[in-house]
Amino acid sequence: MLPTSPGKTNKILSPEEGKLLESLTLNHFLTLSAILFSLGVFGVMTRRNAVVVLMGIELMLNSANINLIAFSRFNGNLDGQMLAIFVIVLAAAEAAVALAIILNMYSNLKTVNLDEVDQLKE
Amino acid sequence: MQETIIQLALAVLILPLVSYLVQIFAGKRLPRQGDWLATGFLGAAFLIALYIAIHFLSAFDQTLSYNLNFQWLNLGKEWSIQLGVKVDNLAAITLAMVTLISFLVHLYSIAYMHDDSRYATYFGYLGLFTFSMLGIVLSDNLFSMYMFWELVGLSSYLLIGFWFQKKEAAAASTKAFVVNRIGDIGMWLGILILWSQFYTVNLDEIIAGIQNGQFTLSNTWLTIGGILLFMGAVGKSAQFPLHVWLPDAMEGPTPVSALIHAATMVAAGVYFVARIFVILSPDALTVIAVIGGFTAFMAATMALTQNDIKRILAYSTVSQLGYMIMGLGVGAYSAAMFHLLTHAFFKACLFLGSGAVIYAMHHEQDIREMGGLRKKLPITFITYAVATAALAGLPLFSGFLSKDAIIAGGWGWASFHGGGWYNVVPALGLTAALLTAFYMGRQVFLVFFGEPRNKEKYDHAHEVPAVMWIPLVVLSVLSLFPLFSLNPLSGDAGWFMNLIPSLQTVVPGIDGAGKLTELTELTHHAHWSTVISSVLMALVGLAIAFFIYMKNAVDTDKLAQSLRPLYLMSFNKWYFDEIYEVTVVRGNIVLAKVSAFFDTFVIDFLVNTTGFLVGFFGLLVRKFQTGKVQSYIAFALIGVLVFFVLKGVF
Repeated sequence: MLPTSPGKTNKILSPEEGKLLESLTLNHFLTLSAILFSLGVFGVMTRRNAVVVLMGIELMLNSANINLIAFSRFNGNLDGQMLAIFVIVLAAAEAAVALAIILNMYSNLKTVNLDEVDQLKE
Repeated sequence: MQETIIQLALAVLILPLVSYLVQIFAGKRLPRQGDWLATGFLGAAFLIALYIAIHFLSAFDQTLSYNLNFQWLNLGKEWSIQLGVKVDNLAAITLAMVTLISFLVHLYSIAYMHDDSRYATYFGYLGLFTFSMLGIVLSDNLFSMYMFWELVGLSSYLLIGFWFQKKEAAAASTKAFVVNRIGDIGMWLGILILWSQFYTVNLDEIIAGIQNGQFTLSNTWLTIGGILLFMGAVGKSAQFPLHVWLPDAMEGPTPVSALIHAATMVAAGVYFVARIFVILSPDALTVIAVIGGFTAFMAATMALTQNDIKRILAYSTVSQLGYMIMGLGVGAYSAAMFHLLTHAFFKACLFLGSGAVIYAMHHEQDIREMGGLRKKLPITFITYAVATAALAGLPLFSGFLSKDAIIAGGWGWASFHGGGWYNVVPALGLTAALLTAFYMGRQVFLVFFGEPRNKEKYDHAHEVPAVMWIPLVVLSVLSLFPLFSLNPLSGDAGWFMNLIPSLQTVVPGIDGAGKLTELTELTHHAHWSTVISSVLMALVGLAIAFFIYMKNAVDTDKLAQSLRPLYLMSFNKWYFDEIYEVTVVRGNIVLAKVSAFFDTFVIDFLVNTTGFLVGFFGLLVRKFQTGKVQSYIAFALIGVLVFFVLKGVF
């Protein structure tokens, strides 16, 4: 059975490791997640290459995953983990679709540079 | 029997409509442009209508009536509209009269219109006109009556403006339509008053409901509703003050004038008032009587000085319709309906006769250009003289019987109300009888007697073809007294007055039966004095015309000069057109200009400002639409951040 509260430690971990893990609070995870998310947003907004933008999106998705796992851990139930698995599945699907879109974009516009793609204007 | 009669009546109604549809869609491709087909349809309709009329005459039951109705529109429990037909004595006789005259007009038009470029269309319109009128005659409810009423207005517009390339004809048709609309609005309001109180448009239900007190409507509202409904008749039957369209309607082809003046349009108004007669309050009836009497007198004075052969007849129609309306107003219901029937025949005869004269004179309508035509047009002359005698109210002719009954009813009504100013109404009627005899005498003497004044046109004149004089003969025979009453001096014993007796009012608070008995008695009392006075009037009128226009005892120009103000007033039709021009037409133009100003500077301003503001903001917001995905994401992100900030602040 998995630990249900932050107080309990996993038997597999060494005592030092257990201590280190115990010293981590929820805020550490949220901060990591926020940093990752911000990096992702930065990447999405500044990169010109559509593939890199896609990578930014993946970063944002995974930061959300970290959030979900952390909450799951500190709440002591599995809801968050289940959602995280959904997110992973969705991310895979999204990557497939997004790559297909990029491919199409390239075949139609001969570019993957987002600065040159402003057809939405019309 | 009921079903058969109803089906036959519906067949009579539908046949002219079929004629219309065939003529409009296929008329041009038929041999002879389908005139035989349209005429045949109407002939068949007449025969069926005659069968129905004979059925009713042989039954000779005053209360015999066949009804059929169905629910046309359902708006919930009480709110439903029933349409249907009602065939009673009055409807059956009117049906036969309308189809007969329409048939004769069709027949006559074959010759009269033969070289017209829109020959087929003309017959189609005649069918539509007849169909609309038959619809009014057969309706048992106000709603479908109103629909057919408007159809009559439309078809009269089409026919009066049939030669729309003539400017006057186009203007006359518009005038007729607009003037009629004014009356129709009143009629519609009247229908709405009854509907809003009773939730039914069925006339029998309304009458029964008022009679047994189930519907409560104060007498004031009944008066208002009655006068509003009467407004419709004022428009259609060309009563003062909406009579101005009828003389102008002379611009249409002459057979159409005969149809309008005798059978279809103007009869509709009188027929309608007859249908609502029993629910009219005494005040409304007084208004109706006064308007009718005044119209009879006024139109007769206008006819005195006209020179157009058709215009004289047009004013005489207005005058005779005034008699009918007056008859209804004074409670002489039976006499008014009788006059509607007799007038239809002799007026149709006069119009078709004038058409024959115009046809023979190569479209000359001025009676000053005619003269001596009795030698050239013997058949037309005899029939015209018979119809003139009927119109002038000479004994032995049909017009005398009915006109006399109306005037006697007027005297009876006046003494019922205790004399006084009430005597003015029958007195106006009697004066109009004198004037009628005079102007008809003038017309006949100028057209048919004396020396030809235009030798060239006279020499070219010739008797009209058989299809034109046969209708004249039929109609003039129908203007003789034995067909209506064996006593040449009174119609009381005739079949019509016995089959269609006067009705008693159902307005609450009035002893209907008692009033009717008293009126009948007083009318009987006035009968002989009326006979003597009206015969005297007719003879005096004819005698004056004879001395002035046959013997040239008085120089007409000098007479006109010495009576110049009166002459001008008559010649200019009491200046009604001028008065309406200044008040109604100009007033309308001013109103239109005010509306146009309001529209341009208020409504348009608001609309334009709205448009401008939207455009302006559009220009502002447009800058954000770069088309770049990343900028959209940035905006979304900024938006989310703004929300968070706001959440933190508040």
